[in-house]
Amino acid sequence: MALLELSNISKHFGAIHAVNDVSLSLQAGEVTGLMGDNGAGKSTLVKMIAGNFRPSHGTMRMAGAELILHRPVDARRHGIEIVHQDLALCDNLTAAANVFLGRELRIGFGPFGILDYAAMYKRAGQIFAELKSETRPRDLVKQMSGGQRQAVAIARTMLSQARIVLMDEPTAAISVRQVAEVLNLIRHLRDQGLAVILISHRMPDVFSVADRVIVMRRGRKVADKRIAESSPEEVTGLITGAIEQA
Amino acid sequence: MLFKKDLSLLVLILVVGTIVAIINPRFLSLINIANTANLIGLFGMFSIGMAFVIITGGIELSVGSMFALLGVIFIDLLVNHGMSWPLAMLLMILAGTALGWLHGYLVTDMRLQPFVVTLCGLLIYRGIARYYTNDGTAGFEFGMNFPALEWLTTGRAFGVVPHSFIVFILLAVIMGIVLHKSVFGRYLFAVGKNEEAARYSGIRTHRIIIAAYVISGALCGLSAIYLAMYTRSISPASHGSFYELYAIAAAVLGGCSLRGGEGSILGVVLGAILLQVLQNLVNLLGIPSSLNFAVIGGVILIGVLADQQIVRRREQLKLAKT
Repeated sequence: MALLELSNISKHFGAIHAVNDVSLSLQAGEVTGLMGDNGAGKSTLVKMIAGNFRPSHGTMRMAGAELILHRPVDARRHGIEIVHQDLALCDNLTAAANVFLGRELRIGFGPFGILDYAAMYKRAGQIFAELKSETRPRDLVKQMSGGQRQAVAIARTMLSQARIVLMDEPTAAISVRQVAEVLNLIRHLRDQGLAVILISHRMPDVFSVADRVIVMRRGRKVADKRIAESSPEEVTGLITGAIEQA
Repeated sequence: MLFKKDLSLLVLILVVGTIVAIINPRFLSLINIANTANLIGLFGMFSIGMAFVIITGGIELSVGSMFALLGVIFIDLLVNHGMSWPLAMLLMILAGTALGWLHGYLVTDMRLQPFVVTLCGLLIYRGIARYYTNDGTAGFEFGMNFPALEWLTTGRAFGVVPHSFIVFILLAVIMGIVLHKSVFGRYLFAVGKNEEAARYSGIRTHRIIIAAYVISGALCGLSAIYLAMYTRSISPASHGSFYELYAIAAAVLGGCSLRGGEGSILGVVLGAILLQVLQNLVNLLGIPSSLNFAVIGGVILIGVLADQQIVRRREQLKLAKT
């Protein structure tokens, strides 16, 4: 059974059809590359899975059960985590604070709970070590490099037992060495049995780490193939429209 | 980094205090320190509330006008309607809370700018206050006494330590724990810096922002009572005028960035202390009181500039080492 199944999903913003009748299914332990030109609808599609938007039409099913998400927090409860294109970090807080944002560890109960700084620093440190990142939990995010910020955003997805991780352009603004680190992280997540969607403009990255590739153009899905059965040339053609469908 | 800023503020206070003490030893007299402590307490109470609002990236300009409005109503309730003072006190705090909630609602759900909302508050509340008293002065009648209320608001422990100062320190400790140790406090910083990121993390940002304005409103209500009992007569046209600037100055001196996302309660406390010490300086050094605000503004400007230069120098040294 597919871990996540989207059936005829559409999203309209007034007259703009950002996503039009897209169906796909994700399996556990698989990395799916989601490619397409600017405005193809990739971010919108992924934001629907993450609970930021509600689909205008269509249904989503997770492990067979229908999935209705009102807010991002609902998606998190189902084990869906997202790394946004702009990382959605608060610069004025520490790395640990950002990792635990919205899910803070507390001492005490009810409204009198106070932050358990020690536990959060420790756990965040463990996750960064697991990700083989040099990020330190007590450092402020505003003083960090792009790769370290990326690690913080990815660490967020490892807090609870995630089942699906969505990554929107995780390698867009970081250095070559850090790209390799991020791709290793993605392989690490896959090896743990998660389903990963990787939105990326960078063909080498997708072809190096993904098992399948889905191409979108103008809001529609135009291809859904195993990476082994495709090629960078074919995918480029699908993105630009030189090849209609595959 | 946070405590370094507070430390430099503390140093500034000590420097200014020392200079004044040398020039006029009366600065260190018990009665002067007690009076200054009273003013610190009165002005500090609502500065804490202002800090919460500024940390969310907003501003609360109607504080002074709220003092005028709530003050005249409070005195009217006590004098003309014979209401028991605990009830009147509770009502004023609730009224402040309600006004704070209104500001928060207009800023979040109606998406108005905090500057605009609270500027209108500044104008409207004072206007209502003036209408309420027909532009007259509200005051206690000759011989009217409220011993328990006066003990609470203007009394002094051991005859020296003003109760207003004690209440201020208590509030600072409680609000300090709320801001720096509680989950709500962390959410406040997150929302002030990057509201979208906070929302994506599941934080109910509108509630957090409204809560900040509500806290400010409640503390305003409390301060209005203390100020009313301190002055004992309120001219609604001028009572509390510009007090919001004291609060904003205390918050900014204490490290709150007007862009939001930064600040500390300790900083606000030190800022409030510095402002009243400067005020005291003007009085004790025989500087004409017309220069009151000029001196305060000047010292704040020099202090902020110096602090910035020191930070820059430190960063340059750090870069030079690597």
